[in-house]
Amino acid sequence: MDPPAERGARRPLRSGDIFVEALLFFAAITSILVMVLIFYFLTYESVLAFRDVGILDMILGQKWHPAGEIFGMAPIIVGSILITFIALFINILVGLPLAIYLSELAGPWSRELLKPAIELLAGVPSIVYGFLGVLVLVVYLERSFDMLTGRSILAGAVLLGIMFIPALTTICEDALRAVPKEFKEGSLALGATHWQTVRRVTLPAASSGIIAAVILNVGRIIGETMAALLVVGNVARLPSPVFDAFDQGAIFTSVIAGEMGEVAHGSMHYHALFAVGFVLLVIVTVLNISADLVRAAIQKKFGGY
Amino acid sequence: MKKIRLAPLASIVVALFLLISSLYYLIIQPGELPLVPFWVGGLLVCAVLISFSALVLNRGADDRTRVVWTWGRFLPLAGDLVYFLAVFLLIFLGLIRPDQEFEFLGLSAIFTYNLVLPFLVLSASFFAIKDSINILYGYSTRGREVLVFSMVRLSAVFTLLLLGGIISVILFRGIGAISWEFLTQPHFRLGQQGGISTCIEGTFWLVMGAMLISAPLGIGAAIYLNEYSKHSGLKRIVTIAVGCLNGVPSVVYGLFGLALLVATFGLSLLAGSVILGLMNLPTIILTSQEALKSVPNSLREGSVALGATKWQTIKQVVIPSALPGVLTGLIIGVARAAGETAPIMWTAVTFSATPVHMVYGIVPDVFQPVNNLCYHLLNLIYFLGAWDVEQNAWGTALVLLALVLSINMVAIIVRNHYRKKISW
Repeated sequence: MDPPAERGARRPLRSGDIFVEALLFFAAITSILVMVLIFYFLTYESVLAFRDVGILDMILGQKWHPAGEIFGMAPIIVGSILITFIALFINILVGLPLAIYLSELAGPWSRELLKPAIELLAGVPSIVYGFLGVLVLVVYLERSFDMLTGRSILAGAVLLGIMFIPALTTICEDALRAVPKEFKEGSLALGATHWQTVRRVTLPAASSGIIAAVILNVGRIIGETMAALLVVGNVARLPSPVFDAFDQGAIFTSVIAGEMGEVAHGSMHYHALFAVGFVLLVIVTVLNISADLVRAAIQKKFGGY
Repeated sequence: MKKIRLAPLASIVVALFLLISSLYYLIIQPGELPLVPFWVGGLLVCAVLISFSALVLNRGADDRTRVVWTWGRFLPLAGDLVYFLAVFLLIFLGLIRPDQEFEFLGLSAIFTYNLVLPFLVLSASFFAIKDSINILYGYSTRGREVLVFSMVRLSAVFTLLLLGGIISVILFRGIGAISWEFLTQPHFRLGQQGGISTCIEGTFWLVMGAMLISAPLGIGAAIYLNEYSKHSGLKRIVTIAVGCLNGVPSVVYGLFGLALLVATFGLSLLAGSVILGLMNLPTIILTSQEALKSVPNSLREGSVALGATKWQTIKQVVIPSALPGVLTGLIIGVARAAGETAPIMWTAVTFSATPVHMVYGIVPDVFQPVNNLCYHLLNLIYFLGAWDVEQNAWGTALVLLALVLSINMVAIIVRNHYRKKISW
């Protein structure tokens, strides 16, 4: 008879508790396990490509030409940067004023209407955005800018920028709302107008949350797949000039999703696509962690909310 | 006093007309611009009204209301007036003509007359409104507030229009495809005919499988983190891991599933469910934790004081109190799992028209691939140019959108209902 069983026999209630706690503990460490596994498998599958092509050649190589076994990610990285900047611009241009409206100006009636609307917008599946992008946005851009094809980096950027407005607005609104009333009342009491108060008091006080939201949104934009896949054109070549957003392009996710379906399992192309996924994972993880750190750092420095 | 205010008001009205009409032509692109003479006239009227009202701004004002012309106020106004004049001359002298096309910086887009002209008028009218409001309020901070807040309000209108636009476009184009046959028959001839019954089935079982995995793991993890964990180190690491998992792109989950699960189980319902479940894990952990945190400690202490063990307290007191919040998280998880494509593209789905294979008539065979609404729509999008699938694609999009939005709506209603009801 071993000691634990004896203890269990004496206190039947506790043994059940310990069993439950062990189960819950397992559930809690699952997410660590999954994160480690994801990193392990992406490294494992991509290491062959990195070793074969060379890490620097792979990341800085100017040509992505799978049929010729040439795997350079520069076109993909340039496309991703372009798309991120334009999408983020649209995103902030609409998302931040919307957050200000919701937290400062909206009456109860329009809040009741807008809040669920924003939450519903956030729930629209990305493939539906992609579908509308193909049939509405791409056709529209093609016609207005007289482009050879409307599938372009610009189309992807517009679509992604619109898609992630709700994500930005929700976090920014929470940050703006968390600013204590006393701050605003103090500013108003000093004779500042409402807008001066928002600009000089509320926005700076909420800056940690807003900056974290923007960084998180960069991660979302880079990581979004279906909508981008369908409208960016998926041609991995360097645009010329480099900032030509009207050209077709490719981003990390569109290359993976567009090409993974037809590669032979275990070929160099297969491993190269995992390498693209690995770079994407590293970028997004760094962004996520830095969003957290930025929030903490600004809060420490300015006592933000 | 009255006279001074009339001119900027009039110029706001004119500029608003210019703004709305040029925006309309910029967006709709009807091919020809019949309003050009009006725009030229309107610009001229705006320029005259604004310079007039700026000149008489200080007439009749006492020392308190007198506006001091600093460079910061004068230069933007002068710049805007020069801009109006430039746009006016460009159009009036025929320097930009209907058949002209512009290219710059080597961009692979051609900016036609129909695009450039409304844009010039739009920007000019925007500046006109800005200056008029400034003059109307005598360059006080109040004028700036009116200007900024009206733009902020526009963003709210834009969002509502966007949601309304997305829903109404899909509703009006897709409603024609919806019929009883569409919902209850499998597709045939590459989706040109038939319906989406296999996709609905497949989506259902994928979501069920995903929730079977993510609900116990997610809620369990949240309970452990919130109720048991004394180790702040472990809690911190798990929190970081959950944060990272939450940000991992869905396509990376797909790669992960391809490398880990497809190698073992092949293309199967099981692999897809596991991947979707793991993807949902962070959402459910975070929302459940939020719900558990909102349960006040006094409830726990009361239960423990009555002699209940920790697990009894959690089971009988904490979980029932946190249930609405947890439920909301689960429902959002269902909607997300139903709407994701990238994680299952290579792990669980084929474009098949065979119904889900059932074992004993009730449990699906988890080692077989299924079809799924999102994947079906993706395939139809790929077929768009080649085959006549557009009608069915709109129908599929409508079903998918209605499904996901109604699930989300339920989550919102559950949450709002209990938020109003529960007060500690």
